Amino acid sequence: MLAHLRLTLICWLIYLAVTANFELSNLVVGLLIGLAIATILRPESQPLSLRRLPAVLFNLAKYTAWLGVDIIRNGIRVARIVLDPKLPIRPGIIAIQAGMKSELGVALSAHAITVTPGEQVVEIGDDGVMYVHCLDVVTSAEGAEEAQRKRRAMLERIFE
Amino acid sequence: MKDLGYLIATVAILIGTFFSIVGIIGLVRLPDVYSRMHATGKVSTFGVVLLTLAAVFATPLAWSKALVLIVLLILAGPVVSHAISSASYRLGIPLKQAARDDLSSKRIQPPANQPQPAQAEPAE
Repeated sequence: MLAHLRLTLICWLIYLAVTANFELSNLVVGLLIGLAIATILRPESQPLSLRRLPAVLFNLAKYTAWLGVDIIRNGIRVARIVLDPKLPIRPGIIAIQAGMKSELGVALSAHAITVTPGEQVVEIGDDGVMYVHCLDVVTSAEGAEEAQRKRRAMLERIFE
Repeated sequence: MKDLGYLIATVAILIGTFFSIVGIIGLVRLPDVYSRMHATGKVSTFGVVLLTLAAVFATPLAWSKALVLIVLLILAGPVVSHAISSASYRLGIPLKQAARDDLSSKRIQPPANQPQPAQAEPAE
């Protein structure tokens, strides 16, 4: 029941954000749509303590900021490679151990790698090894393990 | 206040357009599918996000709409480029000028209960 309410609330907020219209009729329609989605999806209840919510939100903001800085830095690096007349690319695929047990954790690690320009996950093995295609394989291989360790620590602080 | 908004919008449009152009140049210049996905991915992250930001500051678009749009784009964009490059690898499209390929030693198989071949070496 609590999970239903929470999903309804989240759907309602997203609906209001998308429509950006706070008339009474729109509020009611949004609530009905949220209820319908929550009824169809039937979410499983997860323990959520309100005490941990501020810490989770803070860590989420920190992770987003770190990801943003990473995206901008790598975007400039890739732009420089593309615009260089000699096109100094050293493409290749390297294996990175995700080191996370949950599927969500591996998926989010792969998302973080793929969203950064210059690196993208081509394949994920059964044992959580991510095969990452890099534009510059030498530079990426140097920092890959360290970056993954940092990423894992941040993600575990959000979900654990 | 309005002038400041226009200034931010102009800068965002300039940077967003620059990165979109760089992405398309990369699409033309880079050698194979996998490298080209890097370039097009940049158009979807930098280009579209910055142009959406410009729209927030220069037009009466509600910022909450733009926020939802940007979050969905950032979440869905990488999934697309992963799907395309994964499908290309399964189809056997070769890497050009590959300096290293850890995946080649691990043949991709359909998910069945077959014995796995030797694992690739982890990155050093």
